[in-house]
Amino acid sequence: MFVEPFRYERAESLSDACARLRDSGGTAKLVAGGQSLLPMMNLGLVELDVLIDVSRVTEARGVVEEEGYLRIGALTRHRDLETDPLVARHQPLLAAAARHVGNARVRNRGTVGGSLAHADPSAELPLAMTCLGAEYELIDGALARVVPAHEFHVSSFTTELADHEVLASVRVPTLGPGWGWGFQEVSRRPGDFAIVAAAALVRTAGGEMVESRVALGGASDRPIRLGAVEASVTGARAEDLEARIGPVEGLDPVTDTNATAEHRRRLARVLAVRVLADACRRADEAA
Amino acid sequence: MSADLTTTLVVNGRTVTRTAGAHLSLLRWLRDVADVLDPKYACGEGVCGACAVLVDGEPVSSCIVLAAQVDGARVTTAAGLTGPGGELSPLQRAFHEHHAAQCGFCTPGMLICATAMLADGMTRTRDEIRHELHGNLCRCTGYQQVVDAIEAAQGAAQGAAQGAAQGIPP
Repeated sequence: MFVEPFRYERAESLSDACARLRDSGGTAKLVAGGQSLLPMMNLGLVELDVLIDVSRVTEARGVVEEEGYLRIGALTRHRDLETDPLVARHQPLLAAAARHVGNARVRNRGTVGGSLAHADPSAELPLAMTCLGAEYELIDGALARVVPAHEFHVSSFTTELADHEVLASVRVPTLGPGWGWGFQEVSRRPGDFAIVAAAALVRTAGGEMVESRVALGGASDRPIRLGAVEASVTGARAEDLEARIGPVEGLDPVTDTNATAEHRRRLARVLAVRVLADACRRADEAA
Repeated sequence: MSADLTTTLVVNGRTVTRTAGAHLSLLRWLRDVADVLDPKYACGEGVCGACAVLVDGEPVSSCIVLAAQVDGARVTTAAGLTGPGGELSPLQRAFHEHHAAQCGFCTPGMLICATAMLADGMTRTRDEIRHELHGNLCRCTGYQQVVDAIEAAQGAAQGAAQGAAQGIPP
């Protein structure tokens, strides 16, 4: 399928991109890696008048360590998350999530900000950020506001971003010692979007879970943190999880060509148990 | 409404400057504007790998990158893997010897992605090769011969590297 011509503009910086978005009066879209937008254009799902390219902007790229968190520039690529030593040391869950994204070619081009702003309900990074309690920094020329992941992701392909705002960076809290992580997904083929994906973080003491975070992607119209499951596993050991965790409430899965809603509900529980067990085991190893 | 854009790419070592629609993907720019025909259009989603090229040494799906986005880059297509005298790369030779192509449509992308895979010099098991090739679809071969070829090529490259270390000419 041939893409219809559009006007192409190259932004000099992220604040320049904000200005261009404002000037376009809502008709423009941003492109960074383009690994979601360009497929949608090739398939005729998106047509646009103006495309503003931020892929060559050099700011907002890479990971830096700050007091209590990692700041990840929106233009950091999935490939960078896979290989970054700070991510490996402080938040390996993110590297694991990034490894599940698409194929190597997608990970070479696709960006963190692009994936989060695209907000596919089964995408890996929005799930990992929701599990981690990350905060997104949105700019409107200057720093405009900070929005937590669970508020940013509103529903399928819908976020808190206003027309002229740009997601500039993400703050991911670094966890202290004693935490372990788990990330698993079920998909038709490696590299496909997940049917359901799950992420967990667990802190243990003496083999028992003291604190936990667990979240699911693909089971609702946005990533969902499972507060009730977290409460139910306090004090549990890895081998208790199967008995402690009942059917997962509060999900709103869809039926599509990949799976029925019922199958997704079943996967939700199975994957929640598995990622919590993985996280428990890693936390014990770290202790 | 689309202003044309002048883009310069170094394609297989040759500097190519063309003025064309800014909306063109790298793949369309290569095929329709620069007459470089070995990358192929198939899925349009970055899933199948038929359009894979190296951009500054990294594999990308050229159907989902705009040429404008990579202005100034070095682009290598499968045709650019051959030496200056037309001699095949070890991987290309292995594909030939193991009959790792049937209709050939996926082959340029397979060669590009396998070249990128082997660039780190690591030796992979057949399962690891299969896993890393999950972004390249072939509808003819069942992948057996492709995996055979890549396995043989990494062995040949290792043998050559060991030979070089011991002063043995290839």
